[in-house]
Amino acid sequence: MDDQELIRQVQEGDEMAFGEIVSAYKDRIVNYLYQFTGDYQKAVELSQETFLRVYFKAKQYRPVAPLSSWIYAIASNLAKTEMKRTRKFAAVSLDDIAAHEMRKKAYAEDPPDPGLSKNLREALDALHPRYRIPVVLKDMEGFSQEEIAQILKKPVGTIKARISRGRSFLKKRLEKALAGGTYVARA
Amino acid sequence: MSEWDIMKTLETVNAPPDFEQKVMAQLSLRKRIERRRRAVLRWSMAGSFASLAVVMVLLNVFIFQGRTPSEVAERGKDIPVTSSLIQKAAAEQTIPIIETLDYRTEMRSRSPEPETIYLLEQVSDTAPRGIKY
Repeated sequence: MDDQELIRQVQEGDEMAFGEIVSAYKDRIVNYLYQFTGDYQKAVELSQETFLRVYFKAKQYRPVAPLSSWIYAIASNLAKTEMKRTRKFAAVSLDDIAAHEMRKKAYAEDPPDPGLSKNLREALDALHPRYRIPVVLKDMEGFSQEEIAQILKKPVGTIKARISRGRSFLKKRLEKALAGGTYVARA
Repeated sequence: MSEWDIMKTLETVNAPPDFEQKVMAQLSLRKRIERRRRAVLRWSMAGSFASLAVVMVLLNVFIFQGRTPSEVAERGKDIPVTSSLIQKAAAEQTIPIIETLDYRTEMRSRSPEPETIYLLEQVSDTAPRGIKY
């Protein structure tokens, strides 16, 4: 059964069809949200919320875009809201400050981490969500720029600019890390 | 191969094995909450409409109590059958319709003075023509 048929059944309240959608998209959505948040537990929680919204908002779905784009749009909006909320209410303990100072010292003294993935992960985490979402959707999830524009409801030109800016930030940050310095700038 | 394929070297994760069960459990919980919320909303709406209706009835009984149309119509019975207007109408084979009006109540809403009575008179020179039914 194709996605359109499944969502049509979900619109009629069919939980079996909803279960099929969950099993088809769960890994992709959890992975996408993990790449976005960098926190597996949070990614799983947000994915659950994403699927619940898919069920309760199914009637709002219009088949002008693929179902996957719609699900990714819900996941992206949830992740953005969550990030704003956690930034707003972020509480930093004294222990965290001490640990952060120690980490800074260690970065400055140790040789640069040769692991590309680790550096890439750190660079991605430092990237502002405005650039991180299109970069992750393009380079990890394999969406086209047009599809990303549809997901994020932005013009294609804006998406192109954001991908380019995000990539150039990642490149600079990786080059700096490979050269052995600490990089504190945030895009 | 694009240089940005290095992004695919990042660690990927999968959903936990009990993910679907958790989603379905959450779904039934949310449905139950939604049903309860709808029931509460329905009863509160019904309650507010019912109380509004009660208030309207009470206002009508105790505050807006006035003379009913039938009470006003009773006054028309005082007009004698020998009245010239009725006799003239009978001669022209028309059905006279006489409707009594309490001008005080008719005009009350239009005029700030409660006791003002407006007498409307024919000012045209031509003879009045009655409506024939």
